[in-house]
Amino acid sequence: MERLTWMLAGMLRHAAGLLPPGRRQWAEAVRAEAGHVPAGWPRLRWLAGGLWLTAREGAKMMAGKIVYRLGAVAVAALAAWAVWLSWRTSPAADPQTVTDRVRVLVGVAALVALPWVARRRGWFGPVRSSMAARLVRLAGCAAVCGLGLAVVRMDSHLGLGPHQPGPFSLPREIAAVVLLGAALAARAVGKARWPDADPSALWAVPGTAGLLMFVAVPLQALAVVYVAGILAATSWRSPAANASLAAGAIAGLAGALPVYAAAGDDSYVGWLVLGIVVLTLLLAGLAGVAAAWLVPGTGDPQELREARLRQGLLAGLVAGAACGLLLTYLFVVAVFMLVLGPLLGAVGGAAGGAVAADHPRRSRPARSWSAGLFVSHW
Amino acid sequence: MSRRAALSAQALAVLAALAARPSAWRHGYDLARETGLKSGTLYPILVRLADREIVQACWEEGEPAGRPRRHLYRLTSDGLATATAALAAAPAPAARPARPGRAAAPRRLAGEGP
Repeated sequence: MERLTWMLAGMLRHAAGLLPPGRRQWAEAVRAEAGHVPAGWPRLRWLAGGLWLTAREGAKMMAGKIVYRLGAVAVAALAAWAVWLSWRTSPAADPQTVTDRVRVLVGVAALVALPWVARRRGWFGPVRSSMAARLVRLAGCAAVCGLGLAVVRMDSHLGLGPHQPGPFSLPREIAAVVLLGAALAARAVGKARWPDADPSALWAVPGTAGLLMFVAVPLQALAVVYVAGILAATSWRSPAANASLAAGAIAGLAGALPVYAAAGDDSYVGWLVLGIVVLTLLLAGLAGVAAAWLVPGTGDPQELREARLRQGLLAGLVAGAACGLLLTYLFVVAVFMLVLGPLLGAVGGAAGGAVAADHPRRSRPARSWSAGLFVSHW
Repeated sequence: MSRRAALSAQALAVLAALAARPSAWRHGYDLARETGLKSGTLYPILVRLADREIVQACWEEGEPAGRPRRHLYRLTSDGLATATAALAAAPAPAARPARPGRAAAPRRLAGEGP
């Protein structure tokens, strides 16, 4: 019995070392307490409970990571497929398709390069350790890849629909790459050279470069902006709370799907654009209200109000961007929503946040859906 | 729309034990004896309660002779309010700590959803 107890204690000590620092103390606590438990079966059961705790916490941690990595692999495969398809199925002789190939490549390059470019600052990663952030990041990146696939499929049916990529222009593409480099590097270079410069002046150069890139190659610029936005919103440094990400993503999906359903009926087509605008505003507003309400109290009413306004705006932005991305994937003609969606979402979300900002602070009882420890319902 | 949170019988038993002496630091074995919960049930509950800042945890100060330092727990001020409200709202049998050596049955409380 003693030998078995000794073995379990050793296993618990080693297993505790595998847990992240925030969880390790709990396994060590069980081990430290074991000395106070009567020797024999009670102590053995106590240590076995500690091993169960370690396995459970470890499994939860690993499950999240494994699912995220599998998702990342799937997104990488989707991106590779988009690139391969653009070479495989597009008419090689058509110079217009080269533009779309470049668009696909730019989107994929942004997915690969942006996390590396800003790795020190952590602007684009690593992903925040939450289910909402991981899901939004994977789904967003998959949607960008899906957009590339949709563009490639349009190329294989050239002449159908209003989608015309225009002839390929090497100087324009090179200028766009230079402008992108300037937009990414200008602020860091400016801050290093003129540390006391006005922050707004430091942002002016990348802003101008980004705007010029948008004018020269709008879809490439949008692909980069969307990838950067998705990575930034879900990184550990993101100002967007998990609730804001979740509320925004759900509202964006809820906005795009009815439009998809209505588009099948020709009698609604005339109202479709107006419907899209109204629906995006409305749902972004709801997302803003939800995100603002879910901001936990800070003790300072003014601080709480500002946090609610900020989260409302961010949730609206996420909702508008998600709606725009999904609609563009479903109907390439809705490409205007890639720009209009986030703008409408920001307006709706800010309004929703403002509505909820002065809502009386309520106590939030602790709740969880994990392990059946807590059960929360409305 | 009012939101109500119900806790499992085991979590309520832990809260009841901690709320009985809210200012005192309690250790795991003490709580296990009082609630009748096994370590594999008690500690996951303490982890969740600490994650939600209902319970604060710390290591015993100093280096006691002949034994390792113990991990100690007590309710936070918000946690005391949450525990009081949860225990008041819970049906009496569930709020009562289980008899020593016997864990409370893992069942949902009356009034919970499906």
